[in-house]
Amino acid sequence: MDSVEAVVTQIQGLSGGSGDISLLHSLLKQADDLLHNESTRLAPFLEQLDPSIHTLGYLYLLEACTSTPIPKEQANQLVLSIANFINNCSAEQIHLAPDKFVSLCKRLKDQVILLEAPMRGVAPMLTAVRKLQSASELLTVLHPDFLLLCLLAKCYKTGLCILEDDIFEVDQPRDFFLYCYYGGMICIGQKRFRKALELLHNVVTAPMSTINAIAVEAYKKYILVSLIHNGQFSTTFPKYTSSVAQRNLKNFSQPYLDLANSYSSGKISEPEKCIQTNREKFEADKNLGLVKQVVSSMYKRNIQRLTQTYLTLSLQDIANTVQLNSPKEAEMHVLQMIQDGEIFATINQKDGMVRFQEDPEQYKTCEMIEHIDSSIQRIMTLSKKLTTMDELISCDPLYLAKAGRERQRFDFDDYDTVPQKFNI
Amino acid sequence: MDFTPIKDAMTSKSYGKIADVCDDLMLQVSTQGIAFEDEWPYTIHLLGHIYVDDINSARFLWKSIPPAIKERQPEVGAAWKIGQRLWTRDYAAVHEAIRGFEWSPEAQCIVAAFSELYTKKMFQLLLSAYSTISIQDTALFLGMSEDDVTNYVVEQGWTVDSASRMLTVKKQPIVTEQKLDPSKLQRLTEYVFHLEH
Repeated sequence: MDSVEAVVTQIQGLSGGSGDISLLHSLLKQADDLLHNESTRLAPFLEQLDPSIHTLGYLYLLEACTSTPIPKEQANQLVLSIANFINNCSAEQIHLAPDKFVSLCKRLKDQVILLEAPMRGVAPMLTAVRKLQSASELLTVLHPDFLLLCLLAKCYKTGLCILEDDIFEVDQPRDFFLYCYYGGMICIGQKRFRKALELLHNVVTAPMSTINAIAVEAYKKYILVSLIHNGQFSTTFPKYTSSVAQRNLKNFSQPYLDLANSYSSGKISEPEKCIQTNREKFEADKNLGLVKQVVSSMYKRNIQRLTQTYLTLSLQDIANTVQLNSPKEAEMHVLQMIQDGEIFATINQKDGMVRFQEDPEQYKTCEMIEHIDSSIQRIMTLSKKLTTMDELISCDPLYLAKAGRERQRFDFDDYDTVPQKFNI
Repeated sequence: MDFTPIKDAMTSKSYGKIADVCDDLMLQVSTQGIAFEDEWPYTIHLLGHIYVDDINSARFLWKSIPPAIKERQPEVGAAWKIGQRLWTRDYAAVHEAIRGFEWSPEAQCIVAAFSELYTKKMFQLLLSAYSTISIQDTALFLGMSEDDVTNYVVEQGWTVDSASRMLTVKKQPIVTEQKLDPSKLQRLTEYVFHLEH
């Protein structure tokens, strides 16, 4: 094919059956250089194609068309055409050329950020993620980009929708790091600290061969969220954390570790002192808001601790022990915690007393049974996944070769299932 | 711009859906590159989030509103004031923020619905959190005058001690659905059986 016109004719003719499509795909691959050379005059040809029928061809043309730097006046039109394509394209044809599709979506992201209108990219990027993803447990390259746009556009709630899917398959480590980091930030914004902790934990403990900035920032937030949600932070890493992370992360987050240390004293004045000293660092990291939440969580933690010791306590005593200014302030804290279901208690205003109670949940309602049942189901699915994964690895030639080589280091009986030499 | 979905949700009084409808529509129009900010019903959108108790989203929306609009439309600021009071858990001030503004007719319906819902929620909170509480505080929490609030809670079975101006809360037994689907029980039995053998 030697002209754009010919390419367009082929696209129109070969977009029907599956046999035709693969022929068209190889033709398009050959014509890719031509399209890139002619990129400036491609725009009018797009009008002759229908993105829902001629998806593959349209994708090649649009990708070539947007490959050169674009003046700002045309950026608006470009964003519109990419968004329109994403909405109408056929997912089936996209899967033939995922790389092209991804680079097109990345250009959309860059353009909307350049236009300072990140919200324009949110809806198309979500559609793009869904179309690119063959299963909901697969992390695509576009996941982090979508979350980034949500953060920039302050559409946190929209971001939550993809965070609910459990991810089991990851292609590029960088995507996974960013997905978990941005996802963590979205959950923090929506005060879903448990989920935020899970995502940040994934970043900190993920395999890595060199230390990276994403992991460092994630670790700082991980410390803070852990204090807010669990009331404590353990500086020992889980066993499966990479040695690089274990060796280096702490060196980059000293102010945060100091804060965690001062938190464990149980006295409000300690973390406040620590914040005074490190204020600039927290501010520079844009974590000051979260740091302040750590301090206010401390009142709650201290009140919660009281419930373990006392059955009844006067509001005055609560105020004194947790260092609040007045019984009224203590009452308001207790009330908030009752509202959030964090403690079970009744306030007696007449006597100025609080009576702490046990969790009234008796685990026998329909709702609870439903909850237990669904938890069991999830764990069973997870366990099956693990078994499959384990089987897969134990048949993996690379793994067997390595395990075979290391055999002599162990006792014979430990490794009797692996032959001494396993040459493949 | 076509605001039909929002108007429909408002006329059918589906206030719980307003926030989602607004969020979706906002993403759609912004994708089309329309400068929607000047016409956008920010008040309704904010109140929609507040109605479903999603103060985080209300706060992020407030942050994304251009300053010029905040200045030009005092009602938007008034709507956020409610959110702000909820954010800081200043329970009594929520009622003040609701009453402290002359709402436009559309906003008025959703504000009124929220006010009713909020009073109910506060009543439930007092019910679960207090055994005795002063009339004065109850009035503040529920946003009523002391006389009105006394009548309101006495109807719910609370008792008044007029000497100390204290109310004794009457706990209501919580009725929960206990009837179980036999298949659920069957499944749980199977799990236990599996674990024990």
